[in-house]
Amino acid sequence: MDHQEEAGLPLDGNAASGLLSELFALDVTVAEVTCDCCGAVTQIGETRVYGGVMGAIFRCARCDSVVMRLVHTPVGIWLDMRGSHCLFTPLVER
Amino acid sequence: MPETKASTSTHERLIWRVAEVAKIVDETPRVKSLVLDVPGWPGHRPGQHVDVRLTAEDGYQAQRSYSVASEPENTRLMLTVELIEEGEVSPYLTSDVRPGDKFELRGPIGGYFVWTVAIGGPLFLVAGGSGIAPLMSMLRYRAAVKSTIPALLLYSSRTFEDIIYREELDQMAARDGLTVVYTLTRRQPSGWSGGARRIDRSMLASVSPSVTARPRIFICGPTSLVESTAESLLELGYERNFIKTERFGPTGA
Repeated sequence: MDHQEEAGLPLDGNAASGLLSELFALDVTVAEVTCDCCGAVTQIGETRVYGGVMGAIFRCARCDSVVMRLVHTPVGIWLDMRGSHCLFTPLVER
Repeated sequence: MPETKASTSTHERLIWRVAEVAKIVDETPRVKSLVLDVPGWPGHRPGQHVDVRLTAEDGYQAQRSYSVASEPENTRLMLTVELIEEGEVSPYLTSDVRPGDKFELRGPIGGYFVWTVAIGGPLFLVAGGSGIAPLMSMLRYRAAVKSTIPALLLYSSRTFEDIIYREELDQMAARDGLTVVYTLTRRQPSGWSGGARRIDRSMLASVSPSVTARPRIFICGPTSLVESTAESLLELGYERNFIKTERFGPTGA
């Protein structure tokens, strides 16, 4: 599959970790998010991410519903967590 | 050895630092490695990546993420960049950049796709194309700390000439107890005894460490390879919690 075909496919939470690091003091790629739709608990690093340099939409790794939206604007950072009801971020290395 | 601060998952707020190109390494016809000096670099864990930002004379900025391919024990940072023809950043980094050039870099980023000896093994790595970069950091780290944790790499490339780090991987296979399985998807040299097709479930079934060994699995490459490999491994019975994925998009351009 060449790059043109791949272009429509999502990346994952790792790709958005730079954006996330601008808002969160802790590393949330290892944070566990609970999906409102299917109840799955997955790490942000596993979620499928659609987005670019200024924003990202995070979709549940199991059911693909949106769990988080993050948008950087010139005046501030939006975080919309509709679609998830819990984010647990560990303090110590697993 | 730089102190790796990431013994907890907290980080200081990441700042943009200046990276200076010390050396450029030709890996394959389309891939180059940049060896960088980054004053103040806080250290990283194997598998993490950085954001690179280029600023043009007119102020236009382009930003892309690259995995750190070097081990934490190396004081210099190595990034491995594949030329994407229609890309904004990779043409500069693979063709125009010269030793002494500088650009901005932020990191280390991402604790999800990380392996250290503390996580245990056996280690099973699956790479597609330039997805080998973060896995190479893990393997170089494993060699630097002289770990005896068994490691197996399944590496898919288009052709023999496209295998990145091939000589170094062959040396690790001879010296460090690493098993390397190559598969070439587009063209194979005559007499080739390695794999000759895309990674699929039956190849994984025959190559992978046993399920009962509970391997720590890291898959990196194009989204299609990563997703199909992860799905196959789950079907084969490997533990979901031990499967970590990193998708490289064409946006690594």
